[in-house]
Amino acid sequence: MVLEVTARNLEEKDPKKQVLYSAEKTWFEIGVDMDRDMRYGAWQIKEIIDLTLPPSQTQKVEHLMNFDTDTEEVEIEVKLLYYISGGKGDVVYTEKKQLTYDID
Amino acid sequence: MKAVTVLFRTCMILGCIMLFTQPGLAAKKKSKQADKDPHTIVTKEANTIDELVEMLDEKKCGSCHPKIYREWERSWHAKSVVSPGSLKGVHNFIAIGLPKEWNKPLTKAELLKCLDCHAPIANYASEELAVKIGNMIVTAHKEKDNPAGKKAKKALEKLNVGCVSCHNLKAISVARGLRGDPKKGAIYGPTGANSGGAHKTIQTVDITRSVFCMQCHGKYTAPDGETIQCNTLSGSFQNAYQNNGGTETCQDCHMEKSGKSGRKSHLFPGGHDLDMVKKGLGLKVNFAQYRHLPGKIKGVKNDKAWVPSAVVTAFVENKAGHRIPDG
Repeated sequence: MVLEVTARNLEEKDPKKQVLYSAEKTWFEIGVDMDRDMRYGAWQIKEIIDLTLPPSQTQKVEHLMNFDTDTEEVEIEVKLLYYISGGKGDVVYTEKKQLTYDID
Repeated sequence: MKAVTVLFRTCMILGCIMLFTQPGLAAKKKSKQADKDPHTIVTKEANTIDELVEMLDEKKCGSCHPKIYREWERSWHAKSVVSPGSLKGVHNFIAIGLPKEWNKPLTKAELLKCLDCHAPIANYASEELAVKIGNMIVTAHKEKDNPAGKKAKKALEKLNVGCVSCHNLKAISVARGLRGDPKKGAIYGPTGANSGGAHKTIQTVDITRSVFCMQCHGKYTAPDGETIQCNTLSGSFQNAYQNNGGTETCQDCHMEKSGKSGRKSHLFPGGHDLDMVKKGLGLKVNFAQYRHLPGKIKGVKNDKAWVPSAVVTAFVENKAGHRIPDG
């Protein structure tokens, strides 16, 4: 499970330059064998290092973003994705907010 | 007056008899129908997959329980051997784990470390058939685009976590000392409702408990003591949900009752179902906009200007009874 936070300058046409801030947090588990080496096989995994989101818990994830002094408008998007397997994640929830700034 | 009272009482008694006789007649009718085509669960050692499947003949379950059967057909339990993830996992155990790490041959006992959960009926396979099934799993995964792989997969589709897996083979295993072995041919269920002669029904509360699901949806311990971890749902359920006061069972969420009948769903939605994932997670986001003091942020174009800034706080909630994600 991944929480993606991205801030974009929508006035910027070049997609590469559009992203002003990007970060993600991943909740996952690491399966380890008896030597504490990371493993994927169900028969190899004897213990886990648990970096998942525990049941009945809410975790707070904070991001402080400082944009350049000439930034007038940004769109911030927060996406919660769930990866059932492989590389493709399903978007579970998305929240967006546009912020405008007075520049000096 | 006395005669009127007697007449009234007689009518009441007759009415009650009529009321109770109607369902009786229906059951009798159903019983006659079932007698013609009885659902028998014969458990013996099978030498082919077809023999194994015919023994249980679970398609017959669908003739009396069509809605449940249709739901189950769409569930992941119905493809517990041939789903890509299952095939890959079992293939890796057979092709890598056994020969290269454990230096052991493929045997029924080794294969059951996977199939006791992925296809419990494999317990009734002969040693030879079990090894054959193992090799078919390797072919189905390794040669998935070739005719041989497709043929193997088609045959393996008959193996799954079917009706009898839960309603007999695993039904009372968690309390074997108390309950004994499951009775051959019987169907265990939460109500013990009369099947009209189609099969013997035995009521058991065991099947409604989380510990029943945890036989497979948790750390699996094989008869020889080997531990297998496909997933660890039971660990977080017991140690982080129940011990924090959680009281819902696996069945409460993953077999949520539906429709007027209040019948438990046999779709068993989980991580593959986005709606289910949405039910289990919550997201709340606060956006706090502000301007940072000039000169305090390095690398900006104008260090005399206020710096456009924001603090984004996301609250991610796990509403499920187990950790998210789980392996």
